[in-house]
Amino acid sequence: MAPTTATETVEKPPKTEAPPKLSDMEGSIDQITFEQILEMDDEDDRDFSHGIVFGFFDQAESTFEKMEKALKEKKLAELSSLGHFLKGSSATLGLSKVKDACEKIQHYGARKDETGTNDEPDENVCLVNIEKTLLECKKDYKEVEDFLRRYYGESPSS
Amino acid sequence: MSLKHRLLNLSMHDPAQTVNMPLIVTPPEDNDMVLSELKGGANPLQRTNDTAQCDPSLCRIYRYTPMPTIVVDANLCIVEVSDSHLTLSGQSRAALLNTCICDITPHMIPVSDITSLYGAIRAAISTKEIQLIQDIYLKDSKSHFQLQVTPIFQDRTLIYIVFEARKMTRGRSEASDHHTHVNETYKILVDTVKDYAIFMLDTRGNITTWNPGAAILKGYSASEIIGKHFSVFYSPEDRLNHKPEKGLMMCLRDGRMEDEGWRYRQDESRFWANVMIRPIYEFGRHVGFVKVTRDLTERKAAEARLITAFEESSRLKTDFLANMSHEIRTPMNGMLLALSMLTDTGLNGEQLEYASIIEDSTSLLLQIINDILDYSKLSSGSFSLTSDIVSVDSVVSAVVRNCKSCLKTGVELSSSMPSDFPQAVKGDPLRYRQVLQNLVGNAVKFTERGYVKVSTSFAIDAEDPTLFNISTEVADSGVGVPESALNTLFTPFTRFADSTRRRYQGTGLGLSICKSLVELMNGSVGYRPNLDGGGSIFWFTVKMARTDILAPSKPLAGFLAESSENLIKKLRDIAPRKNILLVEDNLVNHMVMLKLLQSFGFERVDAAWDGAEAVRLVKQTPLSYNLVLMDISMPVLDGLEATSQIRSMKIDVPIIALTGNALKGDAETYLAKGMNDYLGKPVHRNHLLQALWKWLGT
Repeated sequence: MAPTTATETVEKPPKTEAPPKLSDMEGSIDQITFEQILEMDDEDDRDFSHGIVFGFFDQAESTFEKMEKALKEKKLAELSSLGHFLKGSSATLGLSKVKDACEKIQHYGARKDETGTNDEPDENVCLVNIEKTLLECKKDYKEVEDFLRRYYGESPSS
Repeated sequence: MSLKHRLLNLSMHDPAQTVNMPLIVTPPEDNDMVLSELKGGANPLQRTNDTAQCDPSLCRIYRYTPMPTIVVDANLCIVEVSDSHLTLSGQSRAALLNTCICDITPHMIPVSDITSLYGAIRAAISTKEIQLIQDIYLKDSKSHFQLQVTPIFQDRTLIYIVFEARKMTRGRSEASDHHTHVNETYKILVDTVKDYAIFMLDTRGNITTWNPGAAILKGYSASEIIGKHFSVFYSPEDRLNHKPEKGLMMCLRDGRMEDEGWRYRQDESRFWANVMIRPIYEFGRHVGFVKVTRDLTERKAAEARLITAFEESSRLKTDFLANMSHEIRTPMNGMLLALSMLTDTGLNGEQLEYASIIEDSTSLLLQIINDILDYSKLSSGSFSLTSDIVSVDSVVSAVVRNCKSCLKTGVELSSSMPSDFPQAVKGDPLRYRQVLQNLVGNAVKFTERGYVKVSTSFAIDAEDPTLFNISTEVADSGVGVPESALNTLFTPFTRFADSTRRRYQGTGLGLSICKSLVELMNGSVGYRPNLDGGGSIFWFTVKMARTDILAPSKPLAGFLAESSENLIKKLRDIAPRKNILLVEDNLVNHMVMLKLLQSFGFERVDAAWDGAEAVRLVKQTPLSYNLVLMDISMPVLDGLEATSQIRSMKIDVPIIALTGNALKGDAETYLAKGMNDYLGKPVHRNHLLQALWKWLGT
């Protein structure tokens, strides 16, 4: 039987590998911060962190929708505040890439450059920047979402 | 009037006369010679009559010649005029005969003006050669003429002068002598120049010639512009200020005039022009101006581009610095955090020593990065001051306390302040502290033995009695400042002290940041050598407002060295008795924070989801909360406004800001708005622990 199992493992790549390791996501998830959340779980289950993480998924998806709507309506201030909002929760979970992107959206929305240091008077430049960053943000989000779903033993959403 | 007198009266300098530049071919010679020759002749009139009587039939030549002709005798008196001339001038023979040619209207002769007529007559008599006056324009018939002046001598005696007018079919005469040849050469040269507008003006400033360069540059064709005044190239304001006329006057006075400024094309577009005007004189008489105009728009635009490029690169540098420091600060903070956790894991002596070295270096790096961030903010002008109550005394003691740890052995650090120094003033405590910290830090760093003394004094501002001028002096007995470095002391990125040996670390930004900060606080900063001990004295003054309110008694953020293990134990002891209000709109953050607080043993945590709810809860039970954890940006009412409202109820519950904005300036705004402390997001367990203990445990 042993040889068969070995073949199967090779054919079915990481998907079934359970559970993925946090350190694989070094660039996207700040390990220390996320572990802090995990530490809050009770010894025998992961109910607390699971609730938080999946709560975040809901929040992120609805925020992205709101951002897209605001982008269409060219509401910069609204975009800035949405960026700030999602930045807060992504930071708490240690989702550093998502957090950074949200921060950029917050700055662009406030008519500033990426770092919030200098003013950017051109509204259209800000909107274009946000559109670009939002795409990246959603990509980064998708990546951590897939990872976290696998981490909590779910199959990744398509 | 005799010819002699008439000639003597000829005026060559008649500034009021405008001349269309007649080309009098042969220059006049010495008057006296002409006159003496005239004197030498026998009775000229007699001779004239004799000749006239010789063959009267020949008189018909001049009467019926088709070329308009006037014949005058030696006294310039008209003795014959042709029918063709009468047709041209429209006069009767009777009106002209026996009249002096000088007394009839010049254009009837025809000649442009009496001066050129005199000139030609003089030249003809003195040289005994035919003279040609060219370019005579008659407005009535709109045609060009040239006048041939032929002196008729019998031996050395002038008997007649014949004036023959020839109508020119082309605009210009075709004289073929050397002069014209030279003129033609120049004309071709001028006509070949395309990059310069070269044209001539008459004495009044009307345009008389026009080259292709001028046509290209100014957009007018020659026929459109010739005869117009050159002020059409100037702006209406310039015209109102009589700039064109003044330019010509200046040109006549100085012999040349050069100017740079906007000029206008026919299509009213403008260009930046370099204009050069020179007067032209002919036989000593002013006949007009030559004007050369160059288009410098390109050069000016290039200059502007250079300036923009320079500003852009300077801005890029600032942005780069800001971005880099921002990017570096995040991992640095992570390192510091991990380090502080590492030191809590029960290290042995050697490990602790290494850890403390890492901590020192990291703190220094962080300080440098913060300096660069400050610098880039200051140089981009996006730096703001906050207004708060300052206790100068406590700031000075805090700085002194802080710097004591860096003192070299055998150096004494002390501070002095007059006993009547105001307890509290209004200003930016953190900026004041930053400057003082920098100066004292420098003094401590550069002093190997002796002392560092901080002395503070105050005076009421002479102009505004509501302001204090606070002067602070930091004197040391250290290495001092070499004379060569005095000029660049406050210039960014310059360091003088042992930079090659890397004995003292730093960015060379400290003093320049101090200078900018002090200037923001309407003060100044300076240096003088310390005569007592050979070190330095750095001083600075700032303006701060008087106030009656006292500064908050609790000192701001300090580094707590206590291990987190110990802290948790101590906090767990007190936590069940404490009531905390958590204000946070983000569900995820809210849940995490609640959980964290629970893990510390807090049992009574009230939740508010926006600022308004928080204010309502505090209002309901003003004394029940021991601490408020307050998010900054929230819907309905933000954290800052909520804090202001809570403070306005005279409730001094400690409020800790939870902020995602990690920038230094933001945090200081929160403190200025009445918050007591702040935690950056993500809130780290240890930080929260320390902040909670700081505000609840002591």
